Amino acid sequence: MDKRSILAVALAAVAGILIGPVFAQEVKQEAKSTSGKAKISPVTQDQLNKADKNADNFLLTNGNYAQTRFHPAKQIGRNNVKNLHVAWIFQTEVKESLETSPIVINGVMYVTTSFSHVYALDAKTGAEIWHYKHKMGPVTTYCCGPNNRGVQVLGDLVYLATLDAKLLALNAKTGDVVWQSDIADPELGYSETMAPTVIKDKVLIGTNGGEYGIRGFLKAYDAKTGKLLWTFNTIPENSVGAWATKDATGRDMHRDIQAEKDQLAKTGDPYQKLGGGVWQNPAIDLATNRLYFVVGNPSPDLDGSNRPGDNLYTDSLVSIDLETGKYVCHLQYIAHDVWDLDAVSPPVLVDVKGKDGKIIPGVIHAGKTGHIYVHDRKDCSLIRFSQAMVAQENMWVLPTKEGARMLPGANGGVEWSPIATDPGQGLAYAINLHQPMTYHVENSPYPNGKLWLGGAFKVIPSEAQAGNITAVDYNTGKIKWQVKTPQPMIGGILATAGGLVFTGEGNGKFAAYDSSSGKELWSFRAGAGVNAPPSTYMVDGKQYVVVGAGGNTQVDFRRGNNIIAFSLN
Amino acid sequence: MSGKSSACIFGIVGFVIVLNICATPLNAQSIEEKTAVCAGCHGRNGKPIDKTFPVIWGQQQGYLYIQLRDFKRGDRKNDIMQPIVASMERADMLAIAEYFSKKPWPDLGQPRAPKEVANRAVRANASVGCTGCHLDQFQGDGTVPRLAGMSRDYMTKTINDFRSRARGNNPGMSDLMLATAPEDLAALTEYLAGL
Repeated sequence: MDKRSILAVALAAVAGILIGPVFAQEVKQEAKSTSGKAKISPVTQDQLNKADKNADNFLLTNGNYAQTRFHPAKQIGRNNVKNLHVAWIFQTEVKESLETSPIVINGVMYVTTSFSHVYALDAKTGAEIWHYKHKMGPVTTYCCGPNNRGVQVLGDLVYLATLDAKLLALNAKTGDVVWQSDIADPELGYSETMAPTVIKDKVLIGTNGGEYGIRGFLKAYDAKTGKLLWTFNTIPENSVGAWATKDATGRDMHRDIQAEKDQLAKTGDPYQKLGGGVWQNPAIDLATNRLYFVVGNPSPDLDGSNRPGDNLYTDSLVSIDLETGKYVCHLQYIAHDVWDLDAVSPPVLVDVKGKDGKIIPGVIHAGKTGHIYVHDRKDCSLIRFSQAMVAQENMWVLPTKEGARMLPGANGGVEWSPIATDPGQGLAYAINLHQPMTYHVENSPYPNGKLWLGGAFKVIPSEAQAGNITAVDYNTGKIKWQVKTPQPMIGGILATAGGLVFTGEGNGKFAAYDSSSGKELWSFRAGAGVNAPPSTYMVDGKQYVVVGAGGNTQVDFRRGNNIIAFSLN
Repeated sequence: MSGKSSACIFGIVGFVIVLNICATPLNAQSIEEKTAVCAGCHGRNGKPIDKTFPVIWGQQQGYLYIQLRDFKRGDRKNDIMQPIVASMERADMLAIAEYFSKKPWPDLGQPRAPKEVANRAVRANASVGCTGCHLDQFQGDGTVPRLAGMSRDYMTKTINDFRSRARGNNPGMSDLMLATAPEDLAALTEYLAGL
């Protein structure tokens, strides 16, 4: 078309001439219901409370409210795991990053995919019972892939949080929507990828958005109605803190405190757009009714110049009261983070050796720094931190315009991947990334619901990447064993009473290891990245291990759409 | 497109559009009426009339909406687009964005990149992480645009505008583009155009 034609078209528009056909709108059914062989039965709160002792089911995202990812099933053990084979494969409709934690209840499995789909499957055969396909709103603003990490079930409701920042309760038998609530406005940078946690009358949900200039939160909704009960803002109105110059391990972070104080006097407390997402589920101490969760990075990630202060409670372990949402305690790992080495892997409640050697209730968290941090559950204080599980170099060099090299890279260490524990052995199992990066800083105001990194992280192409599986004795902080992997690891890990840990890699390998020694005992090639946390369960007396193989957006591992269950002959 | 004559044409188009909007309130117009003017630049068949103009047929709804919103707010500057969106309300923008998002993406007939160019683009992506937002096949999603098959000249212009910050509604993209070598960006542009 030449330039005269442009004018002609515009004139035609003035004349009201219609251009282009009228397209009919196809409205797809959001949820469908089919009859399956497995009988869907409700879940009681008592079952959820005792999930750690239930060998038949996998009831919560990380196994139980303490989030130990230690499962009591032991039919599959060190001696027979070599006989593990595929029981069934279910192919989802969505071939994109798969981070789901399968939930299994009395022979029925619930899995999710990218773009907030939910499937109910027969856990014995993999047959589809129903499929809920969320009708996504037009505006979604998310970082690191259109992921979904799973659902939670209580009674006859399945709870789901969606990429467009909605919380839904679905009918467990049909997948129909029972209620839906808006969590936050996606146009402002909020989105949801985590699984909700449900307890008693409450559904708990955090938010993504640390890369978008949001003000983070953890919210509680009424489980029956979807009504908001309380909000804990992860960024308090006074976010300045104590001007900490050292991180939790005692290393100098090279802050220019005077420049920050001058900035604070000029622009005030930056709490309204300071980020602080909550990416993963809280652990719940049923004895004290307290929640423990970690808070992500401040916004913008790399540029601290306009956010003076410690940026509380970013990069922190936080504890609040379940009933009221009121603050109890916190510990900040990195004040005024400018490297995005934040806290994302879900914390775990286990008994640990205190500073005086006595066993006390503890909480542990694996950081992107590559340390496992061990805390006193009473006041969040740090008891010890582990040996570094990945290389650390040049910490804490400040980002520059040209790019400053520092290890770990911004993905960690341990990313969102949940760790597993074996309390009997006093071990925590973590999967790690080693991705050398340069950190580049730039300054700009928040661009209204668009990515706001304050610069860029760049993988250094000439440097080799790798990963590892590491077992850490959390009572000493010492590494007990470590298995190197050829690629960075992201997804999750599971420990069982059978003396095993299961985890997957970006190259499609899914393997079982001796949980005491790290010796590889079995492996399978899935054909797409196994970057999701495994679950295990029993049906009709047979133990299964299940995992998603769909690759990963963030680290760009080969995509797929398979849910794969394994069992013995 | 460049030079005075182009600016003149754009000025006329913009003027005519403003007239049109003044003559018929937006809320009284059908979606075809609201979008008729767009074909003047973005093409009647989805192929833009100038290679430096973006494809909007089949583009992500959220992305189109955010661009309209940003033109109206002045966060994204453009002498043609800003008068067009001046009287639009959010609902108009969402409807127009939805309308174009449902159209088929046009084949611009751009050649696939040679192997060495594609390899360089893939390496650049592995470093800077384009697919972290634009997704595996560069199809985009939500408020992130599709890049696969986009006009090569438009992408070149846009990258330059990001690097000079002339395009100011996404400083994060400016940061990424500035942190990436021009040779890598050129390879990415050629690679994406041919997808």
